[in-house]
Amino acid sequence: MITNRRKHIAIAMTLIAPFVFIFGLVFLYPTIRVIELSFTDAPLIGSGEWIGLDNYKKLLSDNLFYTSLKNNGYFVLLTVVPTTVIALVIALAVNRLSGRMQALMLAAFFLPYILPVSVVTQIWAWMLDFQFGILQPAIAFFVGERVPVFRHPVWVMPTVATVTIWWTNGFNVLLFIAGLRNIPTELYEAASLDGANRWQLFWKVTWPLLWPVTALVLTLQLILQLKLFDQVYLLSGGGPFNSSYVLLMMVYREAFQLNNGGYASAVALVLFVIIMVVSVLQFQLLRIGGRK
Amino acid sequence: MNGVRLQSVDKYFGVVQVIDGVSMEVPQGEFAVFVGPSGCGKSTLLRMIAGLEDTSGGTIEIEGRDVTATEPAKRGVAMVFQSYALYPHLSVFENMAFSLRLARAPKASVIEQVNEAARILKLEEHLDKKPSQLSGGQRQRVAIGRAIVRQPKVFLFDEPLSNLDAELRVQMRLELTRLHRQIGATMIYVTHDQVEAMTLADKIFVLRDGVVQQAGAPLELYDDPVNQFVAGFIGSPAMNFLDATIARRTEGGIVATITGTEGQTLEVRVDGRDPVEGQAVSLGIRPEHLKIGEGGISVTVEMTENLGGVAYLHTRLPDGREVVVERRGERESRTRETISVTANPEDVLVFSNEGQRIR
Repeated sequence: MITNRRKHIAIAMTLIAPFVFIFGLVFLYPTIRVIELSFTDAPLIGSGEWIGLDNYKKLLSDNLFYTSLKNNGYFVLLTVVPTTVIALVIALAVNRLSGRMQALMLAAFFLPYILPVSVVTQIWAWMLDFQFGILQPAIAFFVGERVPVFRHPVWVMPTVATVTIWWTNGFNVLLFIAGLRNIPTELYEAASLDGANRWQLFWKVTWPLLWPVTALVLTLQLILQLKLFDQVYLLSGGGPFNSSYVLLMMVYREAFQLNNGGYASAVALVLFVIIMVVSVLQFQLLRIGGRK
Repeated sequence: MNGVRLQSVDKYFGVVQVIDGVSMEVPQGEFAVFVGPSGCGKSTLLRMIAGLEDTSGGTIEIEGRDVTATEPAKRGVAMVFQSYALYPHLSVFENMAFSLRLARAPKASVIEQVNEAARILKLEEHLDKKPSQLSGGQRQRVAIGRAIVRQPKVFLFDEPLSNLDAELRVQMRLELTRLHRQIGATMIYVTHDQVEAMTLADKIFVLRDGVVQQAGAPLELYDDPVNQFVAGFIGSPAMNFLDATIARRTEGGIVATITGTEGQTLEVRVDGRDPVEGQAVSLGIRPEHLKIGEGGISVTVEMTENLGGVAYLHTRLPDGREVVVERRGERESRTRETISVTANPEDVLVFSNEGQRIR
């Protein structure tokens, strides 16, 4: 086909212009401002003095920063791999159902995902209430006594992780179901003619062919769980003794409660860089792992 | 000895019966072809032999052993799928070695067997490639290689050539014939393409609505079909069918008036007492048996398909029904001419209104 190259480029530009404009206005510009802000002692509103790397130096000697970082890491460990495994198991089970039953089960698992975070945390706050929570007898049965889970330094993070997995798992199930449906039935038939049992069918066919989806789920989860804020803010407020305090809570407190715009920007930027580096690194590692 | 033997095999999907009391025998080492229009149950029957579909009734035996309830891997069969069903994440070598690895065969014998299969199929230089890097024909060969490596008693092919272009299909047909001669195993091949069936088979099974219509050697089916369906299905271009009424019986045959003409007749050889005078029948004549000559049926040539060595005249009866006439060594077009065609009495087949052959 004969095309007018200049016209072609002009049309392309026109089509992407609205996106570029909005992206620049609400993402690029604020990002640059935050980077700028992190080198000043500015309050939340208004400008401040240029103080160079002072905010970052302060950060490196801030105990709360290390506590938050450690808690973020702990939360990632508690959620990313478990939620992926659980979603895969549920997807494999749901995939074996057919027709309406499958749709029904899928809807049931997806339902929590459409709830707002405040509703989710309210449900679990009720269920785990120290005095009236319907799950307390179960906890008492296993550990011998009722536990105020959101006010207990050992229990708080695993509990928040459980709530998070319950809330967000449906989406991962959906991704895995889509991935499973993409694997042709003939491959399973060929493998079973080749003598594979159920276990081998999973490890030799399903698992390698599902790997791109698994890598995607792991990466999306990593990014999502590093951005933890709402659940801890609503369930435990970061306590007790900062045992559920995370980086985004620190940003929130420094910016909106202590009016330290510059310092909050520095923390936010550090979190941004961590998320970027870790997720790119993980995705590359997973891709290499999948190619072997 | 019997390679594969089916006895009154039934298959229901819910309340729908797709295979209806099929009994058949494929002797060991034979190349059998299941052929029929889509939805006739040929693929289902093959999948039942493979064990990928369970059997609702009847028994399936492979080399004398009842395998009706045996799982696929233990039946001693290997299958080549229409979509090839290669494992996309594994190399050609690993695809072919898959079953050996599952069986924990010693490394040296895995390498030996895969290399042997690769040699037979001329795949040696592609062993390290992934299926996505291969052409359609090469993928098909890998799929066949995967089957060979298992050294099965029976090879099952489910429309293996339908994803290939015409030229490659002819080439693969030859390769399959050569392979069959080389390996000597029983092979069952499913296709809707009667040319494939005719060229590959020792024995063809024509299926329709889950019932075997006729089984036999290709030319047996071509020359002596048991019903109108088989007659129409085997042969390309298809057999001509002319509606007719029996005008009178003669010594050793009948004279039939062709419907849609001005009382023109054909003489047909019939051995039995049927059909009787006045009975309505259908006459089947292959295009190559129609000759141009006086005293036959008048038809008008609508179009001439000239393929060089052979020409097909697409003609019409006065009432508009099509009759195809084959001419060898004829170059000039006869389009729009009206010609008279006739056939030898012994080349015309008679079918009852129910489609059954009357001999």
